[in-house]
Amino acid sequence: MSGGSSCSQTPSRAIPATRRVVLGDGVQLPPGDYSTTPGGTLFSTTPGGTRIIYDRKFLMECRNSPVAKTPPRDLPTIPGVTSPASEEPPMEARQSHPRNSPENKPTGAEESQFEMDI
Amino acid sequence: MNNKFDALKDDDSGDHDQNEENSAQKDGEKEKTERDKGPSSGKRKAVVPGPAEHPLQYNYTFWYSRRTPGRPTSSQSYEQNIKQIGTFASVEQFWRFYSHMVRPGDLTGHSDFHLFKEGIKPMWEDDANKNGGKWIIRLRKGLASRCWENLILAMLGEQFMVGEEICGAVVSVRFQEDIISIWNKTASDQATTARIRDTLRRVLNLPPNTVMEYKTHTDSIKMPGRLGPQRPLFPNLWKTRVNVP
Repeated sequence: MSGGSSCSQTPSRAIPATRRVVLGDGVQLPPGDYSTTPGGTLFSTTPGGTRIIYDRKFLMECRNSPVAKTPPRDLPTIPGVTSPASEEPPMEARQSHPRNSPENKPTGAEESQFEMDI
Repeated sequence: MNNKFDALKDDDSGDHDQNEENSAQKDGEKEKTERDKGPSSGKRKAVVPGPAEHPLQYNYTFWYSRRTPGRPTSSQSYEQNIKQIGTFASVEQFWRFYSHMVRPGDLTGHSDFHLFKEGIKPMWEDDANKNGGKWIIRLRKGLASRCWENLILAMLGEQFMVGEEICGAVVSVRFQEDIISIWNKTASDQATTARIRDTLRRVLNLPPNTVMEYKTHTDSIKMPGRLGPQRPLFPNLWKTRVNVP
């Protein structure tokens, strides 16, 4: 229904994107001017202590960084989850349990079995 | 009540240990996964942000679970059905995982993604969860992928502003509807749960009339008839609890 609308609305939120910067000993913060700390905005006095806060827009921008596009070295292969679903039959075959056919075909009976009460 | 929890915890940790050994022997796919993770697994080696990456407030672990019909329902099979996908410490590392996982809306069958702080298992028994609860939102089909993304981005970005309270989030893909939930540590902390609810409304752009349920994990144990999503979410744990005196 409103697939795209939420994305266009969320960036208007007031909470700014921030990132934490590790400052070595002796590094002086510009007094009274946190907006020009080396790493950007720094919250040092939020009620719960320092929090690393990012808004949705900032997180989405990071998605495009080159490192974010490399799959993790240790990403487990779970067909249909971390690799194309077309590999599912081989994966099921590798498992010693011959239960792939009921799993792959949710039937009407199963639907009613797990229907949730509201 | 404490005894009940303790009993459950003992039960489950026992199952868990046994489980990891058993499954490595009889389940080839799982064995491979465990090996592949090897020494770089989140469990064994600290996951830290890479150079020039944007650190997150907490490390998080992705989990995936899928109900396998036809197997005996027990806590053991629950443990076998849930797999760690991996742990990340930075925004960039999050995207590396997320971009190489299917969207919840494209999952088949009776599946869940769980995203929990590193060290918190997506189970009631975990110390961080045992006094906790969760907000539940039921979604009609077609909305899960977008809502899940908005939910976890808000969690990773510390948008909830409830200190240490957030434990993790779950998206449950079911046949008629999908469910997203966010778990917090202290179910009795009404200020916290109210703030989580309001943040959820904001980050998910929920219509004002959206029904949101808060369920304490203790209630889920005590009131089986009203569990609603709990059975599909954790069918096997559910069985365990029925047997607890």
